[in-house]
Amino acid sequence: MNFRQSLSFINTQALMKLKAQSNTLVLSYLWWILEPILYVALFYFVFKFVLYRGGEDFLAFLLIGKIPFLWFSKSVSAGANSIVENRGLISQRVIPKYIFPLVNCQEALYKQVLAFTILICFVLISGYGVTIKWMQLIPLTLITYLLICGVSLFFSVFVTLAPDFKVAIQMFMMGLMFTSGIFWDVNLIQDDMLKALLMHINPLASIIDGYRKILMYKTDLNFHYLSSVFLWAIFTFLLGFSLLHKFSNTLTRKLFS
Amino acid sequence: MTKSIIKFTQVTLEYSARIGLFKRFTHKAIDDVSFEVYKGDVFGVLGKNGSGKSTLLKLLAGVFEPDDGVIEINRKTTRSLLTLGLGFNNQLSGRDNALISCMLNGFSKAQARSKLEEIKEFSELDKFFEQPVKSYSSGMKSRLGFATGVVLEVDLLLIDEVLSVGDADFRKKAELTLLNKIKGEQTVVFVSHSESQIQKLCNRSVWLDKGKIIAAGLTEDVLNMYKKQEKRNAA
Repeated sequence: MNFRQSLSFINTQALMKLKAQSNTLVLSYLWWILEPILYVALFYFVFKFVLYRGGEDFLAFLLIGKIPFLWFSKSVSAGANSIVENRGLISQRVIPKYIFPLVNCQEALYKQVLAFTILICFVLISGYGVTIKWMQLIPLTLITYLLICGVSLFFSVFVTLAPDFKVAIQMFMMGLMFTSGIFWDVNLIQDDMLKALLMHINPLASIIDGYRKILMYKTDLNFHYLSSVFLWAIFTFLLGFSLLHKFSNTLTRKLFS
Repeated sequence: MTKSIIKFTQVTLEYSARIGLFKRFTHKAIDDVSFEVYKGDVFGVLGKNGSGKSTLLKLLAGVFEPDDGVIEINRKTTRSLLTLGLGFNNQLSGRDNALISCMLNGFSKAQARSKLEEIKEFSELDKFFEQPVKSYSSGMKSRLGFATGVVLEVDLLLIDEVLSVGDADFRKKAELTLLNKIKGEQTVVFVSHSESQIQKLCNRSVWLDKGKIIAAGLTEDVLNMYKKQEKRNAA
C-alpha cells in the first residue's frame, strides 16, 4: 500500500466504522453530543453552586475548555487501543500498523464535528460574535489534530506491548485534565516562568487557552506556545511512526502470543 | 524451469508467552522447516491440529517474520490469507467488508468498487451481500472470504480451512475454481484436514508434524506416507 492508498483507506475505514456504530447503537451519535454537555453540566453545577466559583461567562469558559480536551482524550484512548482491536485484520496480511491509530483518530474527528458545531452555536448564542480572529481556528485545529494523531501513534506501541498501559493512559488523561486549565484559567498563574513552563510542557494547556483567546477574548494566539504544540505534535508523530515501523514484527508476535 | 515464488530455508518460529511474573512458556511452532513453492503450484499443507499449519500460513503471508532462517520472496508479490471468521467487521455489510479487503490488498477505492459485483456474484450471497456480516452463517462467511480472495487475483493465495465449511455445491465450485487456477499464473497454498481434498486439488504438498516437516514433494508420495503412518498409529 502506498501513501495515497493508505490515506484513502484510513478515511474509508473511518467512515465505515461510523456507519457500523450507527447500525448497532441508537444513541451512539447522540452520546457524542450528550457526553460533553453532561460533563459541562456537572462541572458547572459543582463550581458555580457548590464551590461558588466562576463569573458570568463561566459556562462558555468551561465548554471551550472541555470540548477540545474531550476530543483529545477520546481520540487518543481509541487510537492507543486500535492495534489490539484489529488483530483479525493484522493476522491476514501485511498492513502497516500506523494505519489503525489513524483510522480511529479520523473517526473521532468526524464525531468531533458535531461537538464543535454545538460549541460554535453556543458561543454565538452567548453573544460573543464572529471576528476575523476566528481564522486562527484553522491552524489551531489542524495542529491539535496532528498532535492527537502523534500521541495516538506513540501510545498505541505501548498498549500493544502491554495492555496494562491502558491504565497508565487513564491516569495520564486525569493528570492532563487537571493541568490543562479546563476549569481554571492558566493566565491566573502569577509566576510568568511557571506559566510559560506549563504552556510548553503541556500542549493541551496551550491549545485550550488558544481556543479561549479566539472565541472569547478575540485576541491573537501566542506564537511561541503554538510552535511548541506543533513541535510536540511532530515529535510524537515521528517517534510513534518509526517505533511502529521498527518493531512491527515484535508487536504482531505480541498480539498472537 | 519452474520459478520459485517463495522459498523457506531452515525457518524456525517460537511462541513465547508469560505464565507468571518471571516464568515463560515457549513452544516451537515451526522447527527448522525448508521448502519451496513454485509459481502456479497448488500446494497442500497436511497435518493434525497443532502441527503448525496455521503458523506456517502466517509466515507465508508475511504476517510473522521467522525467529531463525530465511524466507525469500519477491517484494512485489501480492499475497492474501483467507481464514474463517477473522478480518470481517461484523457490523458492516458483506459489500463494505469486501471493499475493505480489496483496499487492503492495494486496490484504489474506485478499482475496489469495480470488483464488488464480481465478488457478489461469485459468493452467491445475493441479498445477504448488503446485510451485516453478523447475520451470516459460517458457510456464508467463508463464501464471502473465498470470493474476495479469488476475485482479487493476488499472486499467492493462502487458504486456511476455509473450504471445509459451506455447502457441497459451493465447495465444488470453489474446488473447480482452484483447479482452473492451476492452469493459470496463480499460486495457492492450501491447508486442510481433508486428505481427499488435498489429493484432488494439490500437485505438491508438505506434511507437518509438531512443527517439523515429515515429508514434502508430490502430493501422491506425501499422501502415501501420511496414510501409512495413520495405519501404523491405528494398529
